[in-house]
Amino acid sequence: MEETNNTFLEKLLNDSSFKNWVYKTNKNDVVFWNHWIKNNPEEITTIYTAKSIVLGVSFNKTKVDEDLINNKLKDVLDKIQPSKHSNFKKNKTTSKIRKIQFLVATVAAVGILFVAINFFTDQHISYKTGFGETLDLKLADGTLVTLNGNSEISYEKDFPRAVHLKGEAYFKVKSLPATKAKFWVQTENLKVEVYGTHFNVSARDKKTDVLLDEGAIKLVLKGGERKQMIPGELVSFSEKQVIHQKINETLKYATWKNDTYIFNNMPLVEVLEYIENTYGFPFEFKNPASKSLLISGGIPNENLTICLSAIQKSVGVDIQITDDKLIIN
Amino acid sequence: MNISPDKSTWFLFVQGDLNVFSSLFKGYYPSLHNYGLKISGDIELTEDCLQDFFIYLYEHRESLGEVNHIKSYLFISFRRAIFKKLKETRKFLSLEDTNEKAIKFQFSEAELAEQREFTSIQKSTLAMLLNNLSPREKEVVYLKYYSDLKTNEIAEIMNIGYQSVLNMLQKAFVKLRASTEDETIRAILKKS
Repeated sequence: MEETNNTFLEKLLNDSSFKNWVYKTNKNDVVFWNHWIKNNPEEITTIYTAKSIVLGVSFNKTKVDEDLINNKLKDVLDKIQPSKHSNFKKNKTTSKIRKIQFLVATVAAVGILFVAINFFTDQHISYKTGFGETLDLKLADGTLVTLNGNSEISYEKDFPRAVHLKGEAYFKVKSLPATKAKFWVQTENLKVEVYGTHFNVSARDKKTDVLLDEGAIKLVLKGGERKQMIPGELVSFSEKQVIHQKINETLKYATWKNDTYIFNNMPLVEVLEYIENTYGFPFEFKNPASKSLLISGGIPNENLTICLSAIQKSVGVDIQITDDKLIIN
Repeated sequence: MNISPDKSTWFLFVQGDLNVFSSLFKGYYPSLHNYGLKISGDIELTEDCLQDFFIYLYEHRESLGEVNHIKSYLFISFRRAIFKKLKETRKFLSLEDTNEKAIKFQFSEAELAEQREFTSIQKSTLAMLLNNLSPREKEVVYLKYYSDLKTNEIAEIMNIGYQSVLNMLQKAFVKLRASTEDETIRAILKKS
């Protein structure tokens, strides 16, 4: 068992497509691996261990003082060549080595350029995340988008400031003061119109929630109604109702950024619906009374295990993960 | 003809070119210095050992055999040299048997850079978690991420199999992931 896992781990570590998924450097590889993980949930531990090994631990390298090195070198040279350590031969081979290195670098650069051209010739661009995956994107205009799990964003290559969203994403829109160019997010039932601002959009189950952190945005709702939002406000739109409110301690809402879900007065059942949407795990309550337990505060969302342990500890319920669903006792 | 930069550099070193010797010395001194210090925890011993090591390399350059990758070659032989030195000093001080378990390998908070993995964890906590790994796991993590060595090079340096290196990496990261997850949850619950 460990043997097979080890071979699989080794394959992942030597697979450049897997590394592209880890570093999110190639769209096709990201899509491929998200899909693969969704279809092979039993390998998730090995996948995430391999991801950790690829990302690793980053160190600051301790610098050794240059004077110290030069002094030590002088000592060593004195010992090995007592009389003539200043009489070095000039060697010509170094320049040859440099030439080879330059050639290698040029070949690599041409390769990267080729990949880049390939990458940008698509007219319709879309990014999709699998359950439990997030994706950081930088659009052509400098806008930063973090796509939550089970979500999709798409736009035409020529109009990178008009995106379509299914699912949930956090936007940091780059403002372009010179042209006053707008940025649009279109969901199934509303359109968000902005110049430059930070906000979260969640478009799931025929409902769209927009939470504004910074700046100002306009919404055009399905049916044509317009709304203006200021920071700290939440608009929740569905066929049934429109809520437009400043967020406060008693308001029920959920948002997400920087790997953390932020819940306020959310019943456990709705939190689990949220998790079902991003991780793809359905759930079942053994004790219906637990459904209405309220959760407030940040829940880390790096992966499902962390997320569930935090929920268990904060409301004091026991959540079991079985092969295909979550059971809440 | 296909000659790697390492091969031609080593050829010139064996020829006795002191320019090449000096650039090898300057180029590898910092990483070997740090590696020796991590193993021994003793700066004076490390520096003495490094000096003797480079003198030995130069004086025996013609009988060292074929060297294809200078970096891993230097790490392998310097590791051996520093263990030998440690054994001598401890025998002299009549301490308990020196074996590889005696490796210090302590990581400090200051050594940790911005993390791509374990982003949510405090550096001091990560340093503590790293220090709780077994000595060999620590050495593998060090050689891979601090010294930027490949898995097969690490296997050669530590004189173990390729699969054992993978096993140790796997064990180390399973432990780190489990503990960082616990720590993250604890930190968040403390806040709310």
